[in-house]
Amino acid sequence: MSAADQTVQLFDRHRAALLRYLLSLRLAVPDAEEVVQEVFLALYEHLRNGKPQSNLRAWLFTVAHNLGLKRRARDQHLIALVPLDTIDESPGPEELFADAQRQSRLQAIVRALPEQDQYVLALRAEGLPYREIAGILGISPGSVANSLARSVERLTRAGRRLYVTRG
Amino acid sequence: MSHAADRDLILLLDGELDPLRAAGLRRHLEACILCREREAEIRESLADYALLQSGIALPDARAARAELRAGLRAQETSRFAPLAVALAACAALVFFFASRAPGDLSKPKTALTPGETRVISVSDVCRGEAGNPIVPVSLRQKVFQEYGIRDARPNAYEVDYLITPELGGADSIRNLWPEPYSTVWNAHVKDALEDRLHRMVCEGKLDLATAQRDIATDWIAAYKKYFHTDRPLQNPG
Repeated sequence: MSAADQTVQLFDRHRAALLRYLLSLRLAVPDAEEVVQEVFLALYEHLRNGKPQSNLRAWLFTVAHNLGLKRRARDQHLIALVPLDTIDESPGPEELFADAQRQSRLQAIVRALPEQDQYVLALRAEGLPYREIAGILGISPGSVANSLARSVERLTRAGRRLYVTRG
Repeated sequence: MSHAADRDLILLLDGELDPLRAAGLRRHLEACILCREREAEIRESLADYALLQSGIALPDARAARAELRAGLRAQETSRFAPLAVALAACAALVFFFASRAPGDLSKPKTALTPGETRVISVSDVCRGEAGNPIVPVSLRQKVFQEYGIRDARPNAYEVDYLITPELGGADSIRNLWPEPYSTVWNAHVKDALEDRLHRMVCEGKLDLATAQRDIATDWIAAYKKYFHTDRPLQNPG
């Protein structure tokens, strides 16, 4: 199989996951799509130059992470950060019954997490093991576990309020 | 009874706990109802997040795939462009080079060739759309005039871009100098550096601006820095 065909095959397999991850970096959709293109053109060069092909998924996420952060810094397409202390976690009567609103609030809670914790959550949700998440973010696997524990503590605390009417 | 820590419960949930500790924690969970409730709460909150992520609406993949295929074709076409440009430059230089070299020109004279860039995106650089235009004859003549070269040997120099257009270098006399082929730090060595920097930029390992600055400031120092060597490599890769 040619490097180009292999690149397209990997694009079909990993594009959606990479896009979701780039959106979690708060890139606008067009920017995220452009970064994905850059990632796969870089992959093509990588393959064409006979570079190692072990764990290309982790390689793709690493390049996407680096290019995504650079793009974000350059284009300033940041969605406004919501500081944690500005989030009202007390439930409103209607929103407890609306899935969309609940998701929106869950999203707000996630966005109030430290950025690195958000990246860890997003990478975990894509099924990456801790060792690979650590490699992508340049931290230790232990830090990945600590990050998840922090996030889970926030999510479950907020969840008790968000889902009070469940069950 | 002490309760299991969230961290350990998450590790267990994700299969990241070593087998011995996992077995111990499972035994503990059987006996600790509060820990089981906490584990369920953690599992639910992580599942909610996963649902949130998987529910993100993404643009259709077909157009993106077509764009990628076009980019791959462009990149494939541009693969041989540097060689063609180098050959064309060599052939043209036959008309202008003669036998004397005016000192060591491994590096350009900063006053004449400080380096100049044009506005270009990393995306275009990596798609191979930056190009590597052949230096027009008139411009080459001006470069030789500026550097006081009247009659150099054939194939002695390449009128080279200090910042290669493939990294966003400008097609300007302030970005050109007659680079010798015969010196230790010669045009071929610089080509290898340009390839390396281009690759690093496109892999997200290096800012385009940093690559441009490093190659313009002192390309030999940049070669040593990025190839981790004090001398040109035979097969830099």
